[in-house]
Amino acid sequence: MAWCKLQGAIVSCHSRTRHELTDEKGASSRLLEVVQPVVTRETIKIMLPELTIAYVPSTQIVESKPLPIPTSDSGKFGRFGGKFVPETLVACLNQLELHFENALRDQLFQAELAVALRDYVGRETPLYHAERLSEYYKSMNNGKGPDIYLKREDLSHTGSHKMNNALAQSMIAKRMGCKSVVTATGSGQHGLATAAACAKLGLDCTVFMAAKDMQRQSSNVRLIKLLGAQVEKVEGGFKDAASEAFRYWVGDLERNYHLTGSAVGPHPCPAMVREFQSVIGKETRIQALEKWGGKPDVVVACVGTGSNALGLFHEFIDDRDVRLIGVEAGGMGLESGAHSSSLTTGEVGVYHGAITYLLQDQDGQVIQPHSIAAGMEYPGVGPELSFLKESGRAEFCVANDQEALHAYERLCKLEGIVPSLEAAHALAILDKLVPTLHNGSKVVVNCSGRGDKDAATVFNRGLFDEE
Amino acid sequence: MADRATASVQSPRPDSAGRYGRFGGKYVPETLMHALTQLESAFHSLASDAQFQVLLSLSLSPILPLQFSQKGLSQNRKSFHLWQNELAEALRDYVGRESPLYFAERLTRRYARGGDGGPEVYLKREDLNHTGAHKINNAVAQALLAKKLGKRRVVAETGAGQHGVATATVCARFGLDCVVYMGARDMERQALNVFRMRLLDAQVRAVHSGTATLKDATSEAIRDWVTNVETTHYILGSVAGPHPYPMMVREFQAVIGKETRKQALEKWGGKPDVLVACVGGGSNAMGLFHEFIDDKDVRLIGVEAAGLGVESGKHAATLTKGEVGVLHGAMSYLLQDDDGQIIEPHSISAGLDYPGVGPEHSFLKDIGRAEYYSVTDEEALEAFKRVSQLEGIIPALETSHALAYLEKLCPTLPNGTKVVVNCSGRGDKDVETALKYLNV
Repeated sequence: MAWCKLQGAIVSCHSRTRHELTDEKGASSRLLEVVQPVVTRETIKIMLPELTIAYVPSTQIVESKPLPIPTSDSGKFGRFGGKFVPETLVACLNQLELHFENALRDQLFQAELAVALRDYVGRETPLYHAERLSEYYKSMNNGKGPDIYLKREDLSHTGSHKMNNALAQSMIAKRMGCKSVVTATGSGQHGLATAAACAKLGLDCTVFMAAKDMQRQSSNVRLIKLLGAQVEKVEGGFKDAASEAFRYWVGDLERNYHLTGSAVGPHPCPAMVREFQSVIGKETRIQALEKWGGKPDVVVACVGTGSNALGLFHEFIDDRDVRLIGVEAGGMGLESGAHSSSLTTGEVGVYHGAITYLLQDQDGQVIQPHSIAAGMEYPGVGPELSFLKESGRAEFCVANDQEALHAYERLCKLEGIVPSLEAAHALAILDKLVPTLHNGSKVVVNCSGRGDKDAATVFNRGLFDEE
Repeated sequence: MADRATASVQSPRPDSAGRYGRFGGKYVPETLMHALTQLESAFHSLASDAQFQVLLSLSLSPILPLQFSQKGLSQNRKSFHLWQNELAEALRDYVGRESPLYFAERLTRRYARGGDGGPEVYLKREDLNHTGAHKINNAVAQALLAKKLGKRRVVAETGAGQHGVATATVCARFGLDCVVYMGARDMERQALNVFRMRLLDAQVRAVHSGTATLKDATSEAIRDWVTNVETTHYILGSVAGPHPYPMMVREFQAVIGKETRKQALEKWGGKPDVLVACVGGGSNAMGLFHEFIDDKDVRLIGVEAAGLGVESGKHAATLTKGEVGVLHGAMSYLLQDDDGQIIEPHSISAGLDYPGVGPEHSFLKDIGRAEYYSVTDEEALEAFKRVSQLEGIIPALETSHALAYLEKLCPTLPNGTKVVVNCSGRGDKDVETALKYLNV
């Protein structure tokens, strides 16, 4: 296996010098944090220092045409995606892509993965008819309304959909001969899934997590440590933890495997994650057929970085009669500026190695996002989702902290299921969505995780008066 | 009183008086007798149709409903088929059954001897159920039973909160009012579980009498039930208490063993050789064992909590150190002092911290059908950490007792023996406790 050694100290700290560059035609693009980026883009030859560069390319919006289905071969989803990394890492990513494709074609690997998904993770997860939740909405509309189903990713081992991807990639890491896995986590769910998968496979595991996330999701931190993984604290937010994980990976590329938890990053990461999460949508199609002899009319999922949404959506992209709705975190309201709605209010730029929508201020600086749900706090979003938005295939909207809390509480009371605050965002949108749907339509909401980890947050928000 | 010598696995378990040999029965005030009789006949008319049971065990999946032609069926039969279907659907879509039978490779390797030797360890993954333990199998069925009986209200008691949370969960799901009694001392120690129950719209009532712990909460719950029996159903969480509860709860948990038989056949074309489960009240153990009681070639092993050691006086090893007496309406082994007063048990795991045990376990021990051992807090904590780090599965501290016993058991088993351990719950709830004692 080829391994890459970095030349010099490319991986160095932020050097926040801003340059106004002009290209040949005299138009100016806004660039920031440019020290020595290596990407070639048209006539601008710049060298990337690391992954935190954001700029707005002067391209036109693509006219909507018959949809080219994004494939993992190209690494691009329309104009989004790509591999904006230092030249030396390109070889590593190519290696990874090779191993990924080999694994996909390897019958033995697929069989082993299938057994692990069934016996270890507990798949398939049920498609559960939320009768009381459906009744709740129907009672406000003369007994008419859609039938709401929950895809129960909360029942997966470690309590969220993250395990689908963590397990598969850990198995790939083992195949590649890596001894150690490094990753970053927001809510802790991905860190937990990775730590569990590594314990099962006998790999070392290091998890980077932001200090404030470690505090509000402390129960997950304890679980991760118990599973034998190292937890490294990082100042800042999830995006900073992600950058640190990347830096750590690069420090020993032969031994380490960088396990992306979500459909972001340079190619082939978004494609890999989506591939492993797509089991969600595949099962849903089969289960919908069994249950009501048809397809869902609407599928809804929360969008932080986008892995659970893509996992559910991907199967149905070709089915134009299935509406795809992603719900982002509105935080304290879009006007407040304290939110995490990259697709709704962001602009296109390069972030963590890919072109995608991202939250940036007028000077092109990446904004620190906010949400009550740690797993939604990311200023970027998966490039494939950016593509789905721009092509109009998927719709994106927003639910704020308060709405998510109410949805959390509502599902507890009506169905006895405690959703994660992330999943609660998807549930919150039902308030606005349901009145627009006709009687008997089938809505599938991805209940992407369970909310035990959030009980303390909800408790502190004082939703309850003691008797 | 039934003669111990003639009682065997061949006798009906329980008999018509609710006895398992000399154990079990209905030691309750006259005021409760009617409620228990009513409950028993409702249960029989809905769930114990012998013909249905036979058909169920022959079907491909123990939990999927059979398609019966509805033509010509009496109203009663139709209604119980509907009930069975509703239960099967709830177990599949709400609880997430069937739970997998997972081959624990790294744990098995730990017990390997020399070249290819050692037993094979499988975990029955009840930890993957909704709410994280086997308790919900029973809670769901009893909630559906309550609805069938036309009850609008449910009462339960809880120690650490696990059974309370499971009860509150199913009540939210099925739209029943829920009242949970909890000792005031326990409420202080388990504030988060109290909050969870309230989130699920249950009323949690503090009990201040006695030692303000589980046994006092149990008495209050029973008192509430007796007072409101027309409208209220009492959800008992384990195979303890007066008849028909031990039998009912066993029947509702028996899905664990039924699935295991089918999965064992699929995986290695045979039966398990040894079944291991932790025993507090005994419901997860009965759930796994019941299916295999008549299979003499399957060894049944129950593991109790030895706390700080069975000689220390601070333990909950009822079947090892207890004597026969009556507790909570049933005759069974229990921990009592020379004056017949209940001894306060101790275990690091709240679910095993019970001074009694289900009467059927007492019976199985007496006739030698099942073996019972015990494991200390320390051994359980070591197993908790070990399984977390070898398999990435964090077991409940209760379950850890069963897993700890593997250390003593596996070296005695011939190569290739198939051991199935009931992984009765996940350990998220125990991490804080465990980290206090472990160096992690």
